[in-house]
Amino acid sequence: MRGRTRVEIDYSKCGDGKGVDPRECAKCLRACDPAIFILHQTPGVKLDPWDPQLWRVTPIWLSLCTRCMKCVGVCPVGAVSVRW
Amino acid sequence: MCDWCTKHGDGGKWYMNAKNYSNELAHRENLEAYLTEQWRAFEQVYIRKIMGFSSVDLGHKLQMPIIGRLLRWNAEKMIHSEGKHRNPVRGDGHFGQVLPLEDAKLILGNLAAEPIIENYCMCRWMQRGIKEACCINFGVLSGVIEKLPRFIPPNSQHRITREEAIARLERNNRKGYVASVWFQPVPYINAICSCENPECGGLRLRRDFGLMTVYKAEYVIEVDPERCQGCKSCVAMCQFNALRAVPSLGRVVVNLDECFGCGTCRHACRHGALRLIPRESVPGLRGRY
Repeated sequence: MRGRTRVEIDYSKCGDGKGVDPRECAKCLRACDPAIFILHQTPGVKLDPWDPQLWRVTPIWLSLCTRCMKCVGVCPVGAVSVRW
Repeated sequence: MCDWCTKHGDGGKWYMNAKNYSNELAHRENLEAYLTEQWRAFEQVYIRKIMGFSSVDLGHKLQMPIIGRLLRWNAEKMIHSEGKHRNPVRGDGHFGQVLPLEDAKLILGNLAAEPIIENYCMCRWMQRGIKEACCINFGVLSGVIEKLPRFIPPNSQHRITREEAIARLERNNRKGYVASVWFQPVPYINAICSCENPECGGLRLRRDFGLMTVYKAEYVIEVDPERCQGCKSCVAMCQFNALRAVPSLGRVVVNLDECFGCGTCRHACRHGALRLIPRESVPGLRGRY
């Protein structure tokens, strides 16, 4: 067993309408071989339920992370950090 | 046949029962409102809480003593929920089964309720940020998805005929995408997807966390040792690592426990060495979906 990995995203640099729009960037989503990230609407925002505009990335399947650090390298604004 | 065939198959496979596709069923259960609520924020389904836990680091949570087992029991109950108190903002009652191209063609050609639409796959969008129109939805769900601009490809005719639906599914199947049919919510059937593993939300939960979101097909693959030349073309098609080339044997072998029975590997075989056989005909696989 590898033990617990923590992958964090700095939402002041990416998502939630601030910084990079993850729908256009999506580099971490595509760089991750085990696909541990998901893209979803920012919760709690009810501006337009039919065509939501605020999106963020959440590292969700953390137990599958292999610590390859590709997401850290590929992020254009340095918003991803991986710790263990 | 699994439990769902016994319950909703009327003596056959659950997805071959015309009743499960009917508009009457959708109207009786008021499913249009339910599906609208579900699809408006479907991408958030993984961060919704089950028993107070979100799916963030689900792998770790399922390993926790006592809590992990309770969580698994609760998640299974939610996925297969047939009750009146289903919560549309979670994945309640939403699960499916892998099926080979032949069965999917029968559904699209005869059983699926019109209108039929082809829209962007939500799983690939969530997991990879990619918009690929390869999801075929039908019945009242079509009308629901049409109202959500992010799922509808621009500049294209998203309403398609039965023949177009079959042609597009076959094209995707030949690419190596796994055809699957979905209850949403059980017993109403309204989607045939072309999935990839692990991008598909259902296959992810099934394969990595053992939750029964997707059942294996009613078939498994069989390799004819006489015909197989060991060219390995089929190995590249398999999404589940069920095929392995054995150089010393000069042929490909199957891991029947891994095989989902989708049959996409057959498209790659130039020697006619692969065919699907009923899962029930293999003693060790009987009842194992």
